[in-house]
Amino acid sequence: MRNESEIGFELRISKFLRAGVVLSAIFLAAGWLLELRAGIRPLGELSQAEPVALLERWRWWQGVWGGPVDLIYFGLLVLISLPLLRVLMTFVLLLKQKDNLLAVAAGFVLSVLIFSFVLGFEL
Amino acid sequence: MPELILLLSSAAAGFLGSLLGLGGGIIVIPVLTLGFHVDIRAAIAASLISIVATSSGAAAGFLKDRLTNVRLAIFLEVATVVGAVVGFLIAGWVRASWLFLLFGFFLLFSAVMMLRRREETKATKNHPWSERLKFASSYPGDRGDTVAYLVEKVPFGWVVMLVAGVLSGLLGIGSGIFKVLAMDGAMKLPLKVSSATSNFMIGVTATASAAAHFVHGNVVPEIAAPVALGIIAGSWIGARFMVKMPTIWIRRIFVVVLAIVSVQMIMKGWGS
Repeated sequence: MRNESEIGFELRISKFLRAGVVLSAIFLAAGWLLELRAGIRPLGELSQAEPVALLERWRWWQGVWGGPVDLIYFGLLVLISLPLLRVLMTFVLLLKQKDNLLAVAAGFVLSVLIFSFVLGFEL
Repeated sequence: MPELILLLSSAAAGFLGSLLGLGGGIIVIPVLTLGFHVDIRAAIAASLISIVATSSGAAAGFLKDRLTNVRLAIFLEVATVVGAVVGFLIAGWVRASWLFLLFGFFLLFSAVMMLRRREETKATKNHPWSERLKFASSYPGDRGDTVAYLVEKVPFGWVVMLVAGVLSGLLGIGSGIFKVLAMDGAMKLPLKVSSATSNFMIGVTATASAAAHFVHGNVVPEIAAPVALGIIAGSWIGARFMVKMPTIWIRRIFVVVLAIVSVQMIMKGWGS
């Protein structure tokens, strides 16, 4: 059965996820509404284009502003990062509690998630 | 306005997804490909984003309501993330049509089996792995009481999660259906706990391949944004409903969705 510490931790994850989703939604909504105002091509047509690697299209790290779509990219990045950060929080807590078996499991999941980001770069 | 229709249909997917422990991808992909003629690759990428959104949106509520079995989720996530990466890597080689047919028939069979079960069958013994890793827990019952539960067949559940992960990476779905079936049917968790724990896990499963798609450039932001926004709104509402809804109704809706999805998969596999 759950103890007080586990219940407290679950509530913390709940608040963290809620905050992350709200932050993501703000950026997604802002970027999307600005895009709609500027006019979007038919979705089917948009999807037929060849994929362009994220770092080529989203050049925020070079200080280049690409338009409202940059806000959408940031919102998506926040959203995709939430499960990874949630697993990181869990890993740290399990280590603190010396729950070693599950900590190893959480650490493994974290490694695979980080690897999946790298995989996108490699392909 | 097509974008508004996409937003609303994504909200419906998020609502149903959070209610049943699914990611919504099984609704989002047909809507995008059939309704908006979006390329399947971009649809799968958007679907994976929507699954992460459903998971995070609904999980916040289920955690607060103490429905999610976090310890079990961590353990099973090992299998799903490995499977998801494998699925992403082999996506170019495996003939998807065979998979659609195989799993379509499996889901149809599962719908029939679920329909025949009138009541939840409680776990009567705790698997040794569950004893060791303390998976047995409790949840708020339909009558406002606290109901304790045990966990059976943990290794079998782990293997099913591995397969679910491969399907997720391959087909762009969260495989929540398989997760709920494994937890409810094999591991004998209460259905609400199965659904909430599945919701918690599908985000991690989907992130494993969504991240690769995102970095590679398969995610079209103009498509992913309304899908994610609709899903977030729908899943938040669905999570509120799920806590209050009697389990028997959740089971009935789940059977209907299972049947629809299975027919969809079979038709897709046949058509390909």
